[in-house]
Amino acid sequence: MTYFGIKYIFIFLPIVIILYSLMSKKLKPIILLCASLGLIFYISKWLIIYVLLSFLSIYLAGLLLQKIDSKRDLICEGKEREERKKIKGKYKRYKKIILIITIIFNVSFLFYFKYLGFFAKIANRLFVIFKINLSFEIVKFIAPIGISYYTLKAISYIVDVYNEKISAEKNILKVCLYLTFFPSIMEGPIARYTDVKDRIYAGNKVTYNNLCFGYQRILFGMFKKYVIADRLNIFVKLAFQNYMLYSGVTSLVGAIFYTIMLYMEFSGTMDVVIGSAEIFDIILPENFRQPFFSKNISEFWSRWHITLGTWLKDYIFYPVSLSKPVKMLTNFNKKVFGHRFASIIMGGIALFFVWSLNGLWHGAGLTFLFFGYYHFALIFLGNIFEPIIAKICEILNINRQNKIYVFFRIIKTTILVFIGELFFRAPRLLYGFGMIKKIVTDFNVAAFKNEVFALGMDIKDFAIVALALIFILVISILKEKGKNIREDISKKPIYVRWTLYYALILAIIVFGAYGAGYLPVDPIYVDF
Amino acid sequence: MEKLIEILKELQPEVDYETCENLVDGRYLDSLTILSLISEIEDEFDVVIPTVEIIPANFNSAKKIWELIQRLEEE
Repeated sequence: MTYFGIKYIFIFLPIVIILYSLMSKKLKPIILLCASLGLIFYISKWLIIYVLLSFLSIYLAGLLLQKIDSKRDLICEGKEREERKKIKGKYKRYKKIILIITIIFNVSFLFYFKYLGFFAKIANRLFVIFKINLSFEIVKFIAPIGISYYTLKAISYIVDVYNEKISAEKNILKVCLYLTFFPSIMEGPIARYTDVKDRIYAGNKVTYNNLCFGYQRILFGMFKKYVIADRLNIFVKLAFQNYMLYSGVTSLVGAIFYTIMLYMEFSGTMDVVIGSAEIFDIILPENFRQPFFSKNISEFWSRWHITLGTWLKDYIFYPVSLSKPVKMLTNFNKKVFGHRFASIIMGGIALFFVWSLNGLWHGAGLTFLFFGYYHFALIFLGNIFEPIIAKICEILNINRQNKIYVFFRIIKTTILVFIGELFFRAPRLLYGFGMIKKIVTDFNVAAFKNEVFALGMDIKDFAIVALALIFILVISILKEKGKNIREDISKKPIYVRWTLYYALILAIIVFGAYGAGYLPVDPIYVDF
Repeated sequence: MEKLIEILKELQPEVDYETCENLVDGRYLDSLTILSLISEIEDEFDVVIPTVEIIPANFNSAKKIWELIQRLEEE
């Protein structure tokens, strides 16, 4: 079952809505929990046991951490500051042990299912290089659905309890629902407990407004997927698989189309996910904020897959930057080279960890690692050159807020994103380099004319994609300007609203790329 | 407070710290500048800023940062 499939949108979701609506306020969250566990069991069968182990581990560890905090506070009462500090230090050590064990427990499942084969392969290669007579058997495991997402949620929960940012939840079912909530189990967003704790177990009614808003959002996601992403799929597949047969222009267009397809597929999925949750009055965090209006790569990543970016920032970037060894190095660098250089190095070390993990999180493969390090290099170099560029602009009297200057920055960022996504999609790292070489050395526009219609898209397909993208662009510009389009639509008279809804449904039916000659995009982010 | 404003001005001079209340949300302070700021604050005020305190609400204005420093000094 996928979020875009008929089984989910027309059978599973409506049944859950009906059952949820029929139940009392108290039983409503139980329906959501049963639906969530049912969906996981339907897809992953008995692998659900690993999801339940994860949830139980954070639930119990959370309560234990809370108990330690209460005991510490009791002992600290009425003590002097110095003594309080000592007691806090002692209890912090106990808490740290629990935290580390819980994190290792959760990460070990992720490692086992997702990375064991990859590291075994690397080890086997090293054994060959160093002529060691050893080799690991490579076994590919089927992982429980959403393991990359719920593991990060589990870690965020337990770290937040450890840091006393949130209280440990006593209601076992609430923690279970937080981790397994069916709209977000397969592809995120990686919601924090604080994001959803007030509503996820509230059992609020399904109102007419929520139903309209939710399905409106789902329809918009379907439009992105069926009209745009699915139409580009065959072109992208052939352009990447057989790049050597075509000119560099096809590689370039393939990379651009893949980036558009990925954006439409993933952000479309998020529309379905967030829309589904909205029906039950549960607000999930947004994962995209018009990423193609970013002026640099750093900003791009604060607008693209936002919940992964903020997770890595909060649980990797800052803890690594402010860890004791990095702080010691920073203090040394500050004395010798000055504070700007010291903070660049401090941030650089943390960024290296962030992007290694970002690459690996997307998949166990060299293309993904390269994708991570490519972005690390761009952001790190950006940090180094930013003050120099600012100085040059000052000397040349260039206003950096000038619209033309901003436009060129956006274009530059978009090109860098296309290159990154080219490697991200490439079947192998060598294919990625091969395509870049083609683009640079064999950029034959004339040849493209012959190639363009040989890759599964006719003139009608190009026209529909172009029109649909203009539609998305207009909506993006309005959102960027702060307009709340959905609110605006909801204030329109009923005949205008329903004309718009029917137009969207009709657009999906008429212009959707399905049937013979088309290949639907598989849910890309499910595999990550 | 004066010392804090001095540090902030050294790191990012183009902001009016008396009035600005969206230093993080308005992207006046990026992650790297916040790291520098934390390092300077820890040296100057002899406090340790735990990662859990690095949230926009604590860094969105000079006043909020000052309140954070005072709270950590008391702990």
